[in-house]
Amino acid sequence: MRSGMGALMRGVVTMAVALFLNVQANAAEVLREATIGEPPPLDVMVTTADVAAVIGRHIFETLYALDSTYSPRPLLAESDRVDEGGKTIVIKLRQGVLFHNGKELTAADVVASMKRWGQFGARGKLLMGNAVSVEATDRYEVTLKLSAPNGAWKTLIADVNGGLAIYPEEIVSKAGAQPIEQKDYIGTGPYKFKEWRPNRYVELEKFDRYSSCKEAGDGFAGARVANFDAIRFVPVPDVGTRVSGVQAGDYDYAEMISGDLFDQLSADKSIHVVRSNAPIFGLFFMNSKEGILKDNYKLRRAIQMALDKSQAQRVAFGPKGLWDAQGSIFPQGSFWYSTAGTEAYSQHDAKKAKELAKEAGYTGTPIRLLVSTNYQAHFDEATVFTRQLAEAGINVQMMVVDWATLLKMRAQSEQWDIYVTHHGFQPDPILLTFLNPTYPGWWDNPEINALRTELTNSSDQTARKAAWEKIQALFYEQVPAMKVGDAYTYDIASPKLKGLNPNGPAFWNVSAK
Amino acid sequence: MWSYALKRGGATAVTLVAASVVIFAFIHLVPGDPIYILLGDTATPDQIDALRRQLGLDQPIIVQYLRWAGHALSGDLGRSIFFQAPVLSVIADGVETSTLLASMTMIWVLLIGVPIGTIAAMRHGSWLDQCLSGAAMLMASVPTFWVGLYLILVFAAWLGWLPSSGYPSIFEGGIANLRYLILPSLTLAAPNAALILRLTRASMLDVSREDYVRTARAKGIRPWQVVRRHILRNALLTIVSAFGFTFAALLSEAVVTETVFALPGIGRLVVQSILRRDYPVIQGVILVVVVLYLAINLVVDLSYRLLDPRVELQ
Amino acid sequence: MNGRGTALLLAPFTARPIAMIGLSVLLAMVVAALFAPLLAPYDPYALDPAIRLTPPNALHWFGTDQYGRDTLSRAIYSARMALLIGAGVVSFAMATGVPIGVLSALFPRLGHVLMRAVDVLMAFPSLLLALGLIVILGPSVANSIIAIGAAYLTTTSRIIYGLTLRLRAETYVEAARSMGARTPWLITRHILPNLVSPLLVQASFVFAFAQLGAASLDFLGLGASPDIPSWGNMLAESRTFITRAPWLLFFPGMMIVLTAFSLNLVGDALRDRLDPRFREMFGGEG
Repeated sequence: MRSGMGALMRGVVTMAVALFLNVQANAAEVLREATIGEPPPLDVMVTTADVAAVIGRHIFETLYALDSTYSPRPLLAESDRVDEGGKTIVIKLRQGVLFHNGKELTAADVVASMKRWGQFGARGKLLMGNAVSVEATDRYEVTLKLSAPNGAWKTLIADVNGGLAIYPEEIVSKAGAQPIEQKDYIGTGPYKFKEWRPNRYVELEKFDRYSSCKEAGDGFAGARVANFDAIRFVPVPDVGTRVSGVQAGDYDYAEMISGDLFDQLSADKSIHVVRSNAPIFGLFFMNSKEGILKDNYKLRRAIQMALDKSQAQRVAFGPKGLWDAQGSIFPQGSFWYSTAGTEAYSQHDAKKAKELAKEAGYTGTPIRLLVSTNYQAHFDEATVFTRQLAEAGINVQMMVVDWATLLKMRAQSEQWDIYVTHHGFQPDPILLTFLNPTYPGWWDNPEINALRTELTNSSDQTARKAAWEKIQALFYEQVPAMKVGDAYTYDIASPKLKGLNPNGPAFWNVSAK
Repeated sequence: MWSYALKRGGATAVTLVAASVVIFAFIHLVPGDPIYILLGDTATPDQIDALRRQLGLDQPIIVQYLRWAGHALSGDLGRSIFFQAPVLSVIADGVETSTLLASMTMIWVLLIGVPIGTIAAMRHGSWLDQCLSGAAMLMASVPTFWVGLYLILVFAAWLGWLPSSGYPSIFEGGIANLRYLILPSLTLAAPNAALILRLTRASMLDVSREDYVRTARAKGIRPWQVVRRHILRNALLTIVSAFGFTFAALLSEAVVTETVFALPGIGRLVVQSILRRDYPVIQGVILVVVVLYLAINLVVDLSYRLLDPRVELQ
Repeated sequence: MNGRGTALLLAPFTARPIAMIGLSVLLAMVVAALFAPLLAPYDPYALDPAIRLTPPNALHWFGTDQYGRDTLSRAIYSARMALLIGAGVVSFAMATGVPIGVLSALFPRLGHVLMRAVDVLMAFPSLLLALGLIVILGPSVANSIIAIGAAYLTTTSRIIYGLTLRLRAETYVEAARSMGARTPWLITRHILPNLVSPLLVQASFVFAFAQLGAASLDFLGLGASPDIPSWGNMLAESRTFITRAPWLLFFPGMMIVLTAFSLNLVGDALRDRLDPRFREMFGGEG
């Protein structure tokens, strides 16, 4: 018995030593990134989840990519030509680009990817809805024919998030509506998929045969150099944990830190704060299809009239440097910035709101506000607004559910009157969700439809800008949704990381030296 | 003995089948749809139907159950909708953390619960006993996550002695990674140590009233020897069985603690799978835990019968 | 209730000063819940982002939360939710557990089936069972009560089953039976009156654990809707601010501890005065 124990002890000690040595041997350079949670499948073409896009952006690439001013620049494409007043688009591909499985990228892969994207891609209909045909007109040339010109075509295919990521033909045509399987995560990016350990990490490793653009890296565009042997994306849902993890050196980078920690972290020498260069904004969608708010523009205006948007933002985002209570959908400095209609943005006039609601025939019926707690900012904004509306005699009943339930419920028009979500920064108004008549909220009437066509079917930017200004004015008149305000999210990084991307977490061209 | 074992084993099997029906049925009553989570919020109806068919979610519920149970018997718990990986491997990934966390917790429980319980029982009725029992009751009245949050604040954020959260596998970073489990295991240990403390005290008092202990005392054997040789040894039977249950319970009841400390264990897997509506994983975890629970129950029951002839069979 | 019951109710507390303290804390909680609007210094929903996250001071004794709401007022209003959850879970456990236990003991055939069903429920760890039920029913106060109650349905019905079996074997019950007493009469006249004091003991323990269970559910975001003030919700909300505003977590946490501890003290005192035959059903201590 005693000698048995001795043997066991010796075994344990040997194992312990072996495990310790194992750490020492592990000298490969790995970047560890703390993400906000476990991602859904990395089939970036069909999902719009940011967690998936952040990882997928390293694996999959697009024909164009957005530079730091959010203008599209060629990535897998080399050049393009537009004929027939914008109805024919010919894209020439860069030659010698290899997929992770060693196969060369050709027009056939692009055509197959475009077809699946048009049918199942999250944002595919925006461009492919008007497609007449898409063909490989040469080994490295793709021709897209449209029934009407599309002024934003290049922007629409310049990001992986629900966008036209290029997959190998055999994988994409096999997949159809189903998500791509893990073994088929094959793209052309500077990192390739290695393994996915549920609840632990997704690991990517350097792709040695990556063929890079020649132009210098700028935002997501230009040359891409992989300086790390591997990147590990670790799901860390709790913000506090992500922060202490970077402070302790467990992670090199952490996403989406809460505003209340901003001042404290900005002063911290052991941490580098990375503020995003483009704002996101909260959106409160109104039900245009059914219920008390349908067509009752006056009541909707009464609701907006009662709100003080800066109060909500102070609670949701913290210090003043991280938010801007302004009504233009696009931020100042953007080509699309406009003040049309924005005087109605944040009046905070309870008395006027009460009168307006009375004129609109409102008698105190509860208005159902659907919100999830998965995004703390949504819940914070809803809490503040509910209180402000109560002061104006408008009775809002919060329905708090989890995000998955909200996604299901918002598709059913009888379930809600208002729901809360947010919108990421978009380079072109065509990509705004509330302009999509089939998106829950269903802003669909002759006025907006006419303006939407005016915005889409033109390639003259001045004409498009004029159309957009009219849309924004209508946005404040009919209130299909309320903009909360611009919010700048921020990430934190270890100070040893150099060359961080201003457009968001992307780790090519980043090094730790 | 064998007929008893067979009978108990049979009863356990029946319970297990009934439990599996319950598990399967209730997961399918859940509102919310995994398809939306998989495909994102802009999925088209065609896409939704196709995926639903592929995952077999369009079949009658009886067919789905039989298919599921049949596969479960052969060790195949299906594929996680979310991870697109076999459920068994998803669960297996959480097993290391959960087992180590439960084991470390049990060490604290053993170190705190049994000795203090013994002292309380030996000083039965004294002010010391009352203080110790009171302290145990207090420990059992504290929400675990609350303790956990303050432990993080003090030992991780202020003092910086221990990591605040997460757990990298010991197979990747050496056993030094066990330090990640110190705070969570202490958090979990508090209420469970209280339980074991009270149980140790109670069962020692019970045993000390038995005839043979009285005889031993009457024969003039020294009190501490009576405690060691007779009382503790017999009381241990109850305590050990309680350990079995506590351990099994810890694997799943660590849900909140695993959430607070962001540990990749089975408990957090359950909560996250619930939020993602990942039916196969929820079913799989509950099934595995229930099987474990029933198995430990059976083993404890049989060993009780084997070790203590006084236990009567009903 | 007869004189014996009343005496049994009060005696344990006069004999034990610490149990008296527990009882007073509980009374204070009930008062807080009933008279919350009078006691709370502010409207628990009134917000003022300009004074968010202020530490305890003369105006706000417990400080303010991230919306600038008064934490003390919210803590006082939360007593209502604690009382509601506790009473609800106890009622649910009793309303289901007592009939199951009594009927199973009196009718062995039915009992066989019912107690088997209880066994099946017991095969699920209680928190897992509660989580599962919450997912089906959706998170809400009423559903928290059902989910936590279901976990105590099993223990309650087992205890009642055991007690009733014993009572049935008592000579006076046997005598009444042999004299042709009908079952309903037997239950109301002989069984239930004798179950009152053990049920009180069970009720105080279930009430205590319900507080912890509800706090866990609230904390996971699966309990009461987060806009309702409850101690668990207050903890969940202030969790992200733990380094910036550690006091925010202190007060609601202490409220939970005080309530659960007091109930355990009361339950313990009551149990020790129980008939020794019944005491061992609760894992009797000496």
